Amino acid sequence: MIFHDAAAYAASGFAPKVCVIGAGPAGITIARRLAAAGIPVALLEAGSNEWTEESQDAYKGMTIGDPYFDLDATRLRYFGGSSNHWAGWCRILESYDFEPKTYIQNSGWPIRRSDIEPYFDETYDILGLSPFRPDVPVTDNFRLFQVIKSEPVRFGEKYAAELGASKTIAVVLNTEVTELSGDGRSVTGGKLWSRGQAAGEIHAPYFVVATGGLENSRLLLWSNDRSNGGVVPNAAALGRYWMEHPMYITGDALITNQAFELDHEGEAFFMPSPEAIARLELPNFHVQLETAPYRGVKAMIAGMACYAAPETTEWLSHKLGQRLQCTARVHMDWEQLPREHNRVALSTTERDAAGVPRIDLHWKKDESDRRVMLEGMRLFGEEFARKDLGRIHISEWVRNGEDYPDGMEIAGNHHMGGTRMSDDPKLGVVDRDCKVHGMSNLFVGGSSVFATSGQCTPTTTIVTLALRLGEHLSRTISNS
Amino acid sequence: MTEARTKRSTRRSFLRTLLAIPAAAFFFRNIRLTEHDDIVEVDGWILKRSDIL
Repeated sequence: MIFHDAAAYAASGFAPKVCVIGAGPAGITIARRLAAAGIPVALLEAGSNEWTEESQDAYKGMTIGDPYFDLDATRLRYFGGSSNHWAGWCRILESYDFEPKTYIQNSGWPIRRSDIEPYFDETYDILGLSPFRPDVPVTDNFRLFQVIKSEPVRFGEKYAAELGASKTIAVVLNTEVTELSGDGRSVTGGKLWSRGQAAGEIHAPYFVVATGGLENSRLLLWSNDRSNGGVVPNAAALGRYWMEHPMYITGDALITNQAFELDHEGEAFFMPSPEAIARLELPNFHVQLETAPYRGVKAMIAGMACYAAPETTEWLSHKLGQRLQCTARVHMDWEQLPREHNRVALSTTERDAAGVPRIDLHWKKDESDRRVMLEGMRLFGEEFARKDLGRIHISEWVRNGEDYPDGMEIAGNHHMGGTRMSDDPKLGVVDRDCKVHGMSNLFVGGSSVFATSGQCTPTTTIVTLALRLGEHLSRTISNS
Repeated sequence: MTEARTKRSTRRSFLRTLLAIPAAAFFFRNIRLTEHDDIVEVDGWILKRSDIL
């Protein structure tokens, strides 16, 4: 069933067991999983079937610290959520991303990769993936790994018909929960806002907040303020430990002929071994070689260097004693460490149309980001040369610690943390089952539960965790 | 014909310069030693020592 506002939903008399707030990849996946177990679900979507300026306005906010994307551009507020502008790149967090590191404060998850592995096949089905190819060691400390560049699943489009035909899931469009009410032990209800006005309350035995990696913190912070701590009774970590994947072009490369396989876009991805990053005490990262990164005149020059100037390449090959193929751009993405001060906060001055305070995002890179760029590039470059895979050049701004350049990507639009998973309520908001500490019926879905960010795109792991939460909640409800 | 040859020559010179950066950088002598005897960093290029001999 799909209702187009809260009034139509209320008139239906639908009685949900679970209210899932947010119809993006996490929310839709959790709802489908619950429905498969015969559990009735209300799935609330603040936006409509398509992008509207009015809905998107609620995502405006301010970033304090480093330059970042406009908060109403880095995510989407309509059916399907930010999957509507997702690029489709897939990878699941590595085993060692889940493990604590003595040299990284607040690292480690309370679960291991083996806890989410049972959900990989279903994740592949949802995202239309084949299983990932095994990594290929290329040096002692680096391995080539596969990033699947999939046809991106727009969750709203893909599942609209299924959800519309479902008798177990009631999708309610144009309807947001502005605040949850709670008594410190359980959520007692959610206040609704629909089509520009207050629309009563929704009640259900269980609630799942799945509104996105920024918005989950916002909703819970505001709800907690309004209920005097009754929604997140252990709120020390709420909004905090927010993370992104900083990404910059950090150098150039000359690549030896056929040293390794490039993907269909002429790119290759390398990540360091757990031993290498532990030895150097670095966060995780990956190096992406782009052999065809340019457009226009630059593309022509790069193309000539690659293919149309064999004499020149031969001359340099002779100089370096190698068979060089062509030039490449070196792009680096890395794991931002979980820092308490990087956080989602509520604006004290700005509110959206429903009266909910807008986000003040406090986000700043630090010395660890500088170090992983330089040390990571040096490690990669040295290995690359020693194995005669080519030669790497590190950009001057990286070597000299100069300001981050304008005009580069900044980060991945990956919003992680804020309601991180931890066994310790002082260091996390949710436990290993994604249940809010101290609350019996409140759960969180999405990348806000990431305890650390790893080096890869988050959507695949988001779906996997959502399947796990859906199954856990199904079991919990069945057993009760 | 002559014009085409000139263009090709210019292009070749440009590319030769472009691709000769590792060798050229050596002359700036901004050399950083690495933990490996056989690897040096020259103006940001990470090279085998034998590349610049």
